[in-house]
Amino acid sequence: MGVLVALYAILIFPGLAFLSTFGLVAEYVDRKLYARFQNRMGPPWFQPFADFVKLLGKETIIPAEANATVFKVLPAVAMAAVVTAMFYIPVWDNRSLLGFEGDLIVVIYLLTIPTLTFFLAGWASTSLYAAMGAVRSLTQLFAYEVPLYMALLAPALLARTWSLQTMARWYTEHPAWMLANLLGFLVAIVALQGKLEKVPFDIPEAETEIVGGTFTEYSGRLLAVFRMAIDMEMVVGAALLAAVFLPFGLGLHPVLVFVLFLAKVLFLVALAALLRALFARLRIEQMVDFCWRILMPAALLQLLLTVVLSGVAP
Amino acid sequence: MSVLSRVMTWARVKSPWIIHFNTGACNACDIEIVAALTPRFDLERFGILLKGTPRHADVMVCSGSVSRQIEDRLRRIYEQMPEPKFVVAVGACACSGGVFQGCYNVRSGIDKVIPVSAYVPGCPPRPEAIIDGVVKLLGTLQAPPKPPIRTVGIAPQP
Repeated sequence: MGVLVALYAILIFPGLAFLSTFGLVAEYVDRKLYARFQNRMGPPWFQPFADFVKLLGKETIIPAEANATVFKVLPAVAMAAVVTAMFYIPVWDNRSLLGFEGDLIVVIYLLTIPTLTFFLAGWASTSLYAAMGAVRSLTQLFAYEVPLYMALLAPALLARTWSLQTMARWYTEHPAWMLANLLGFLVAIVALQGKLEKVPFDIPEAETEIVGGTFTEYSGRLLAVFRMAIDMEMVVGAALLAAVFLPFGLGLHPVLVFVLFLAKVLFLVALAALLRALFARLRIEQMVDFCWRILMPAALLQLLLTVVLSGVAP
Repeated sequence: MSVLSRVMTWARVKSPWIIHFNTGACNACDIEIVAALTPRFDLERFGILLKGTPRHADVMVCSGSVSRQIEDRLRRIYEQMPEPKFVVAVGACACSGGVFQGCYNVRSGIDKVIPVSAYVPGCPPRPEAIIDGVVKLLGTLQAPPKPPIRTVGIAPQP
């Protein structure tokens, strides 16, 4: 019985099947909104699914000089890390599937793994453009990770816990304290764009400069899995932000909480699409500059505020 | 056709990613191709995305009369694309060499070097004609294989 429940959780809900479907929906919402912001029709609703199926049916080319095993395994590692991270995030309740004291840090680490696989993928491709994209994605990692983590620490500090479900419970009891983390929320949204490598931080896959960036040599099935992992990362990243910064309405009926969860994630995806439509791509040194000079002080300010407020917090 | 291959054909028709390659054109066709990719013409309606790398692309949109210098590069980029792949020749030069037909320094047409699936004549063809060419090429994927189609560009009024 336990094994069946675990398999159901891993393969169907909230695991692989749910995440991939929701990832495709989120990609559709992102692309459609982006198109509407540009005053055009945009893709039909099945577009991400058609892209995925088409890539599955294409020839997969592996460069002769690349390490074939590493090249083939990396997309699966990225996807596995993202799906694992989802088990620690509350979805239909203020409880998560595998929550324990300290799971916030585990989720943060699991969400770093896809970026590392992008780096390794670019490096393993033995292509100049891919290597350049790989180095850029690692440079970018050092810029956005610190503000993102600082921003995520603030709400945890206020709730005096490292566990996402204890945080959810605390904020359900004291919903007004959610507003204390507003600055951190803004910092996290911007830093998440960097994590997902989306405009204005899509420097690692800047197609006008370095062809396809990290994924230059990827084709067919492997590219399909990588794209799916990125879609899932978008959902899980947004779900993490929703769990940490928007923990309202968690005490309702599970179905309502689930609908609210979907709405929160799609709201964050819509915000990301708005950012994508508003800004152009930065150069890598502008990006690092922005993250350390503006995002980082903002995140520190949020931490300071939290430390002061936690003196009066219940 | 089995269900699986029908789903696959459907996906291929609905999601053609293109790569743009200039084989020595005067840039007029390229400007029209780039214009066709702008939000005004909204190619994402058909699922068309411009990709930077041939590894991601399904359709190569070529312009130019293939100068002898670029012939090898054209062949190499075509070979870098994963199967199944298609080529659309855009402009009079790409279709037949145009005004450069028979010159000592050109191969007079993309189809002298790599197989071409659709021709879009015009000097240069309008963005609408290019979109029409690509969409008609996708239409042929659903039907059993036929000889390549030739779309008719919008002729300038005398």
